[in-house]
Amino acid sequence: MKSRIIAAVALAAALSVVVSTASGGNKSAGKSSATSITVWLMTDAQNGWPTAVANATSQFQAQHPGVNVNVQYQSWDSVLQKFDASIAASDTPDVIELGNTQTAKYMAAGAFQAIKPKNYPNSSTWLAGLKQSCSYGGHTYCVPYYAGARAVIYRKDLYRSVGFKSAPKTYSQFMTIGKKLMKKYGSNPNFSALYEPGQNWYVAMSYVADYGGQIAVNKGGKWQGVLNSPQAIKALTAFKSMTLSFSRASKTNDEAHPYPSVPFAKGRAAAFIGNGWEWPYVFNPKGGAAPASFAKKMGAYPMPSHIVGRYMPTFLGGSDIGIPVQSKNKSLAADWVKAFTGTASETLIAKAGNIANSTKLLGVNAKNPALAPFARAAKYSWFVPAAPNWVNVENANILKTMCSAIVTNRASIKSATNKADSQITKILNAKS
Amino acid sequence: MSSRSPAAAASVAASFPPRRRPLGRRLRRASVPYGLLLPASAVIAAVLAYPLYYLVRLSFQHYGLFQLVRHKGEAIGTANYAQIFHDSLFWHTLLRTVAVTAVCVVLTVLFATLIALLLAELSSWVRLLLTAGLIFVWATPVVVAISIWSWMIDFEFGVANWTLTKLGVGNFNHHDWLANPWSGWGVIISLIVWGAIPFVAITLFAGLTQVSSELLEAAAIDGAGRWRAFRDITLPLLKPIYVIVISLSIIWDFQVFNQVWLITNTTPSPDYYVMAVYAYVTSFKISEYGLGSAIAVVMVAIMALISVFYIRQMVKLGDVE
Repeated sequence: MKSRIIAAVALAAALSVVVSTASGGNKSAGKSSATSITVWLMTDAQNGWPTAVANATSQFQAQHPGVNVNVQYQSWDSVLQKFDASIAASDTPDVIELGNTQTAKYMAAGAFQAIKPKNYPNSSTWLAGLKQSCSYGGHTYCVPYYAGARAVIYRKDLYRSVGFKSAPKTYSQFMTIGKKLMKKYGSNPNFSALYEPGQNWYVAMSYVADYGGQIAVNKGGKWQGVLNSPQAIKALTAFKSMTLSFSRASKTNDEAHPYPSVPFAKGRAAAFIGNGWEWPYVFNPKGGAAPASFAKKMGAYPMPSHIVGRYMPTFLGGSDIGIPVQSKNKSLAADWVKAFTGTASETLIAKAGNIANSTKLLGVNAKNPALAPFARAAKYSWFVPAAPNWVNVENANILKTMCSAIVTNRASIKSATNKADSQITKILNAKS
Repeated sequence: MSSRSPAAAASVAASFPPRRRPLGRRLRRASVPYGLLLPASAVIAAVLAYPLYYLVRLSFQHYGLFQLVRHKGEAIGTANYAQIFHDSLFWHTLLRTVAVTAVCVVLTVLFATLIALLLAELSSWVRLLLTAGLIFVWATPVVVAISIWSWMIDFEFGVANWTLTKLGVGNFNHHDWLANPWSGWGVIISLIVWGAIPFVAITLFAGLTQVSSELLEAAAIDGAGRWRAFRDITLPLLKPIYVIVISLSIIWDFQVFNQVWLITNTTPSPDYYVMAVYAYVTSFKISEYGLGSAIAVVMVAIMALISVFYIRQMVKLGDVE
């Protein structure tokens, strides 16, 4: 019977598919030959400060002629998963950048080689916040790379057109400007007074910090999610009402899909909350390719707090550079890290809109009107709970899901925070 | 499949009259089929059996990042299974996966049957055009297809919102399809079914061409309507093909991952968890490899049960002939 032959062919086709899906694996990371080292950096360096990377590599190669430096750029979405795969295969990169909220888990697991800070440039003046994110159990496991604070990047001309010649000093001014902007330009359905993607938990948690709330607290050795505290609920209520009144960004995407600089560069947003490096990124072809005339119209200011005279605390983000314990070229790796985190490269990194890793270099941007507001914003800051498992909360998208649920009205703030709290409590207390 | 081959070999051997041969020769003859099976068995052992063994072993261990760095897990018995069976998220996910699979399979087979019947009726150049269209859908890599669908439902510039607004269905400006899980799942299921139809439709059409037209004509003369002819002649004749495409569809749809993972920008909320996504997040996002393996083992067990049912069906069909 022909139909049985057809069935058999179909079955054969199917089995080949099953086999191929079962064998999907991960590509290995780096080479182990001493003529080459593999470096994993985030795409931020590729987009924002490629010159600093080139500078470090040429400095390194002057010291080690003939050693190739293979820099591979990674995305935040997938870097940890790829790093884990490389650990499983004992084939890690020799140098890796991790975010300062990600390092704790890897230090606790013993994935990094301990280092001696005194062997690294400017270690006596490393930024305290970053230095802390590299310390675990009395040892140092990574080198501070750079820090960043977020501020409001805005269009001066649009603010002026609704009667504000200078940046808002108080939260109520900030809200008034937003309302006036929406009244004047809001008939364009794509216009946002403040472009704020619904999953941007960094901003939501800044509100929480501003109202005196916290994400989680440690009580007698046990972690507990506390986003259902009255302060946090008040904060998230303010966050929700601001987002719904001012933003036409997607409520189910985060601040990298798309980068807010894109709608901003296209004239569809009067402002967005971004890192220092996102200012120049507005002119980058990938960041929206704003016309050069934009430069004169742009400004930045620290987000004002609801408490008059203060700024809203900003997330003190940043990155560190570590040497995986499985690297076969640790001393070469260390030399590249020294070159990349030394004064020359860090100066270039700072000029691209970041806070350099050393207090010695804080003066680099002091006279730059574009970047000074970011340094001022950093005066009030918050950081994630100091639990080794914290990054799993990020990886499981708990706060993104919560923020999305709140701004889409899928859940009340109370039920969304209760749900997030129980998940956070579970993850932070999990045995590692 | 491998279980059928020795049976076939045996039936070939049985068709020869039993004549005594020297023992050595008999042994050699008897070992030939098994020898022929060796390479395939070795490949299956390497790519399926070993990973499966490893998966099961991992599911009885505490295996996190700490253990990963040292390449050594900690045996903890059935604790991982106890944890998932007491986790409401697991049961919700399982239920959702079953429901999504059922809806996808029913829609796929229904639309594919209609298209196959349509193909049989069309003039040859229209049929060629339609088949080409189906092949294009089939040939589109799934990642590309998902990106295109993402653009179409983009909340800001998507053609779906634009069209619906222009057609006066309502104001779909800035409608976010993924904000509500029901509409989000509507999109994902459409995407899965859209991608699954071509294979099933073309396979069913191939089967339809084998249904003898005399039978249908005879039925028509006896006064059977088209529905009656389809139900009593075409459908029974195509049963082996239906069994196979339905079982394949169940297997494919039960382990769906890409469509969910990519359309939610790799950040699905738990409302979008299916078994594969849940196992993936647990293993690779939270680094609970042991727990993730336990979820995967449950998934494999369910799939094995489904497979047993369908293999039995296939064997039964073989016996009838």
